[in-house]
Amino acid sequence: MDKAGSPSRLPGQTSGLAVLAALVCAAPVLAVAWIALTRDSGDYLQHLAQTRLPVYLSTSALVALVAGGGAGLIGTALGWLIARTEFWGRRTLSWVLILPLAVPAYVAAYAWLDLSQAGGPLDAFTGGAFPTIRGGGGAGMMFALVLYPYVYLLARDTFASQSVDAYNAARTLGAGPLTAFWRTSLPMARPAVAAGLALVAMESLADYGTVSHLGAPTLSIGLIRAWSGAGSLVDAARLSLVLVFIAIVVFGLERAQRSRARSVNGSGRHKPAPRLYLRGGTALAALLVCLTPLALGMIIPLGRLVWLALHTETATGLAAASFHSLTLAGITALLAAALGLATAYALRSRTAIATLATRAAGLGYAVPGAVAAVGVIAILSGIQALVDPSWRAMTGEVFPIVLTGTGAALVFAYLSRFAAAAISPAETALARITPSLDGAARTLGATRRRRVWHIHWPLIAAGVTSAGLLVFVEVLKELPATMILRPFNYDTLAIIAHNFASDERLGEAALPSLLIPLVALLPMIFVARYLSRQDR
Amino acid sequence: MKFVKFLALAATAGLAACAQPAEDGAEETRVVNVYSARHYSSDAAIYAAFTEQTGIEVNLVSANGDQLIERVRADGERSPADVIITVDAARLHRAEQAGLFAASDYSDLATGIGTNLVDPEGYWVSFAKRSRVVAYSNTRVQPGEITTYSDLADPRWEGRICVRGSGSPYNQSLLASLVIHLGEEEAQAWAQAVVDNMAREPQGGDRTQINGIAAGECDVTILNHYYYAMMVNSDDPAAQAAAAAVTLFFPNQDTTGAHVNVSGAGIAVNAPHPEEARALIAFFFSDDAQRAFAEMTNEIPVRTDVSWDNPTLAAMLPFNEDAMNVSELGDNNETAQRIFDRVGWQ
Repeated sequence: MDKAGSPSRLPGQTSGLAVLAALVCAAPVLAVAWIALTRDSGDYLQHLAQTRLPVYLSTSALVALVAGGGAGLIGTALGWLIARTEFWGRRTLSWVLILPLAVPAYVAAYAWLDLSQAGGPLDAFTGGAFPTIRGGGGAGMMFALVLYPYVYLLARDTFASQSVDAYNAARTLGAGPLTAFWRTSLPMARPAVAAGLALVAMESLADYGTVSHLGAPTLSIGLIRAWSGAGSLVDAARLSLVLVFIAIVVFGLERAQRSRARSVNGSGRHKPAPRLYLRGGTALAALLVCLTPLALGMIIPLGRLVWLALHTETATGLAAASFHSLTLAGITALLAAALGLATAYALRSRTAIATLATRAAGLGYAVPGAVAAVGVIAILSGIQALVDPSWRAMTGEVFPIVLTGTGAALVFAYLSRFAAAAISPAETALARITPSLDGAARTLGATRRRRVWHIHWPLIAAGVTSAGLLVFVEVLKELPATMILRPFNYDTLAIIAHNFASDERLGEAALPSLLIPLVALLPMIFVARYLSRQDR
Repeated sequence: MKFVKFLALAATAGLAACAQPAEDGAEETRVVNVYSARHYSSDAAIYAAFTEQTGIEVNLVSANGDQLIERVRADGERSPADVIITVDAARLHRAEQAGLFAASDYSDLATGIGTNLVDPEGYWVSFAKRSRVVAYSNTRVQPGEITTYSDLADPRWEGRICVRGSGSPYNQSLLASLVIHLGEEEAQAWAQAVVDNMAREPQGGDRTQINGIAAGECDVTILNHYYYAMMVNSDDPAAQAAAAAVTLFFPNQDTTGAHVNVSGAGIAVNAPHPEEARALIAFFFSDDAQRAFAEMTNEIPVRTDVSWDNPTLAAMLPFNEDAMNVSELGDNNETAQRIFDRVGWQ
């Protein structure tokens, strides 16, 4: 079954299923594209091109640049510190640093605008010197502070598994630690950093809540306005095609990074890097570097909300909402991790259909949740309409089961929206398993099953669990698709938090906002433990 | 293969965990399915009171108005929606245009509440009002210096206006009302002048603007009346202090009246439980519900013969309101939106 020289694959059937699953994930975006291209609309887009479109585009560019630059810087620095050095608190920080990802960007934005606005505590404390966090720059900073864990997670795993040969060679040749890092470790980590950055950029472009509150008119704003103001779903769908196009470019650039780095570590030899032991002032500096983004992205904004909460009543229904959030996030994360792994293997087959399906599945990440939800609704109502004629012939009525507003519809929307967050880390992890590694194992007589369990899995476990964790946290925070597709009486923590925050009732929004990272802690600790066991 | 089995298992578990509550079950519990754009936690109390009084259980899904409309439209004939509630007349109008409402005779409920608040064709009815008003700094603006929406266009306010973005349906409906009263050209001139007078680019919600005045960043703002009331009634001293720094008034009292928008509801055209739907809408007009709107969300009840206890809100009333039928706002929503785009009101 194995062709000599080709990388290990899944059996054909499973590979086919993985491709099918990826296509299903891509379906909502394709449905939106279908709406955009086939239905008629008025002259709204022409009007937009003459008025606001340039502003939407330039603000989007600014937001993505600030978000990507900030997250790249923070994530890479933290990833290296955690993976390659040792200092007091490092072990705990290694998973605590992921937590800001569980803070919805709009929650951070509400808190920071409240803190920094004219007359706010920071403004008063600094005598007006502290700038108001607003506009494209402000929104970009919010995304950098809560999304840097994407880069951090991927960079950390890569730094940890990098062979140190090149680094040591550079040191031997007289390069200082920083230069050696810059010339060897960083270039080798570039695919991982690029994968993280692509996710950060797309997530910040697809956001609506943060940019609308901070007054940063991105394309998403234009898209939602086309829908709500002009009432044209078709125009909104057409604008979302622009976002899809940007996603294709961004992910394309990321792929280019990845293939350039393919030659690295060709020996397949895995020599764990010795940690650099930091002491005294250096250790303290490292600790501070780690704590700063944590404080800015999580402790300060949530602390502000808690402080405000002291003056307000507690929201009710939080226990049920926590349970709902956990259920949805847990189910989706497991499915997403499996999907990520399966598609990553399918990708190794290098068939055109596998590549195409996987790339298409990733596009859902580019469109705002509300648009992904429209795609899901379009598909589900299409299925209903398809069943209708035969059902009517049998019973005289329409097919009675409403597919929208079920948990399945929600999970469908989540998977289509966040497949990229699952596929990307799994693919990065799998890239470590070179054909020569497989070849060696085969030469030594290992069966495929043995190769997968004893060689592949230990190497990719971190990446796959990271994928599941990312999706878990994304679902916990997800708002627009959850709102529109959820079943009756089904609040999640994000919904309760947003309902209060959108009225600027930040005190009431505090507790549900706090619960989101707290709920995320459970699996995070589990994953952290699992991974540190793997480390040994 | 394990993976496939696992996938199937997990999907089934997901379905089971989140399955919709059953339609009227064997025990014959009566239910009403509500799609609401109101996201106020206090509404839970109103639904609980309704259930207690009538025995009808309320199933609720709340989301943004346009999204609810899309969901009901896509589900078509099989939609479980009984009652659709929005907080903006333009959205009610849009739902009606999409054919989602069944016409009903609301005259028994709507007697004495003002004909401007009921759809002329009987597709929906309003049960609570909100007015978009103006507030100014107590220290930097003299009473009487500003009395109308049009005054905001005066160059004397250059660099002195704070206002939220034009994505807000409330701003869209206000501008739609100006389009109706002044015509598109003059409404655009007004919007352009307001943009020119802004102290800062739009940011935040209505409460952020009051904070801006309190902090001295600007002197005048446009806001929904209940945000101010919410701040006055708040337990947070900072919010109280900010609200105390401004004076709120209802504009255009000697001309067209202040702009009002509504919380309104209609019965879904394919409602599986039309009777229960009707009962819920009727309940919104009950003494209890009307009192709850005034006391819990600081909205203005449509019935004037109900007593309630909210001194902050009581101090604002009465006022002259715009007599135009609020359904007209929906017809002019897109025009308003395009004006905002043209004048660069973010």
